[in-house]
Amino acid sequence: MTAVIAPADGGPVVRVHDLTVSAKERAILDRIDLDFAGRSLTAVIGASGSGKTTFIRTLNRMVELTPGLSVSGEVLYLGQNIYDRSINPVLVRRRIGMVFQRPTVFPMSIFENAAFGLRLLHESEDEIDRAVREALERSGLWDEVKGDLDRSAFSLSGGQQQRLCIARALAVRPRVLLLDEPTSALDPMATQRVEATIRRLKEEIVLVLVTHNVGQAARVSDRVAFLHQGRLVESGPTAEILERPREELTQEFVTGRFS
Amino acid sequence: MSSAPTTAPTGAPEPLPPRTSAPPSRKAPIGRGIALPGKSLPFVLALVPAAIVVAIVATLVSATGFHNFGWGFFLPGSASNPNGVLIVIVGSFLTAVPALFLSMVLGLGIAIASTTYLPSFASKLLDPFVDLLAGIPSVVYGIWAYLVLAPILGTVINPWAVAHLSFLPGFAGLPTSPTSAGVGLPLAIIVLTLMALPITTLLIRDALRSIPRDLWESGLALGATRWEVMRRVGIRHGSRGIFSAVFLGFGRAIGETVAVAMVIGSSARFPANVYDVTNTMAAYMFETLDAALVNATLGKLLAELALVLLVITLVVNLLGRRLVTHIYAQEVPGL
Repeated sequence: MTAVIAPADGGPVVRVHDLTVSAKERAILDRIDLDFAGRSLTAVIGASGSGKTTFIRTLNRMVELTPGLSVSGEVLYLGQNIYDRSINPVLVRRRIGMVFQRPTVFPMSIFENAAFGLRLLHESEDEIDRAVREALERSGLWDEVKGDLDRSAFSLSGGQQQRLCIARALAVRPRVLLLDEPTSALDPMATQRVEATIRRLKEEIVLVLVTHNVGQAARVSDRVAFLHQGRLVESGPTAEILERPREELTQEFVTGRFS
Repeated sequence: MSSAPTTAPTGAPEPLPPRTSAPPSRKAPIGRGIALPGKSLPFVLALVPAAIVVAIVATLVSATGFHNFGWGFFLPGSASNPNGVLIVIVGSFLTAVPALFLSMVLGLGIAIASTTYLPSFASKLLDPFVDLLAGIPSVVYGIWAYLVLAPILGTVINPWAVAHLSFLPGFAGLPTSPTSAGVGLPLAIIVLTLMALPITTLLIRDALRSIPRDLWESGLALGATRWEVMRRVGIRHGSRGIFSAVFLGFGRAIGETVAVAMVIGSSARFPANVYDVTNTMAAYMFETLDAALVNATLGKLLAELALVLLVITLVVNLLGRRLVTHIYAQEVPGL
């Protein structure tokens, strides 16, 4: 992935082409085509079982950790297929970060949590200090924790823990950040703060947000992709998909007739 | 948080039907009452372990007859205890500590391989062998070690170590003992390592299995390899179980009797080098029991030595647990 030339401005950072994920004979994702442009937030919405979590997990090859799934098609990151046999998934995940449904802080201090990815890269202490602070600022947590970075990360509230997880992912400066229902375990106040962080971040990097919450998609996303039973029903600008969907199914989902 | 209304609002659903039995009085304990016969059984059962510990300690103390051996208990010189028990106390630590260390290292390796690297069908196939290992009677380990391992150690491994490792302190020269054909410290350590291995492996494996999947994936999502996630996050997350393995493995290693008695060389002396014969507390007590039947003072000595062994294991357990809780309470939830 070293000699890849970035696509011309406006081209997609991530392009999903003809992506199929199947378990045994059954397709969990069926021939998905979707582009993710720079500095944008795409919300992937759909009912439970629609394949949206599987979809986001294909974007950093996390899907391969689930035994029994096979992936075909392409996910192009800056023009290169991340499923190419020569590509090391560990390196893919350093460029394409991920945040999970539940805050997953590590059993160590706040600072060491944020520094985790940088330590893997053997960065210098000065660089780690700088990058940790920058990441905590970008995730909107710095002002709340700057006085006690050495405290255990478990001393933080759930919402703070989730923003620490975002900071941890940001510290290695990924171009893409995948958010898998990041607020599903949080209360409304904490959700609001995480959403504020997400809105700020989309000015900087590519964000892909999986959510079952249409309201959240409306609040934070630029584009929406609607998945139903493993198929991409439609995708487009948020206002268009949520207010004037072309498909009946989308209409039914966004108006809450099924979920 | 709004305060709950104390009376049901009008238009609320029908009130619950009246209770058929009388409500318990406010003073009646809930769930584990001891007032009523039949309800006290759980309480009695829960007391059983504590009662056993107290009974054993108390009766063992009385079996000592409060005989005061003075320093003659530990040191050589007295008639009933010509060698002093310090030798066997030292011997117990010289065998149990290296065996514990080896079985922890090996157990960690096996547990990490099984939970992290092996495909699930392989770990399903291989994991039961750890339980099988735990089920082998200790006398079988002893016989096997004496008949099969001892000759190999005595003729191949010990001579090799003397030839190549004698620059290390304690590795030079073979013992002068006539029982040097492989029995002694190394054989006892090997046997104890094998005997402690199932408990350490099982506990570490369970601890590592309890790592939440999303925590694990979070590490991988940061571009860590499986080994990096295990080393930096998994071990720490499982530290409580890993320390339990240390304590229980130590208890197993220091308390093992028959197999050690068969391979330690049972010699009342401090080992002169790493290949030498010596004795342990447990093996010494086992071997001296016959003599104690006709020598009451010796019986009291054994009771006191048993208490020493008991106290060592209890102290290691309690202090260890306290230490771990103290160190990790801040960082690991659930401690």
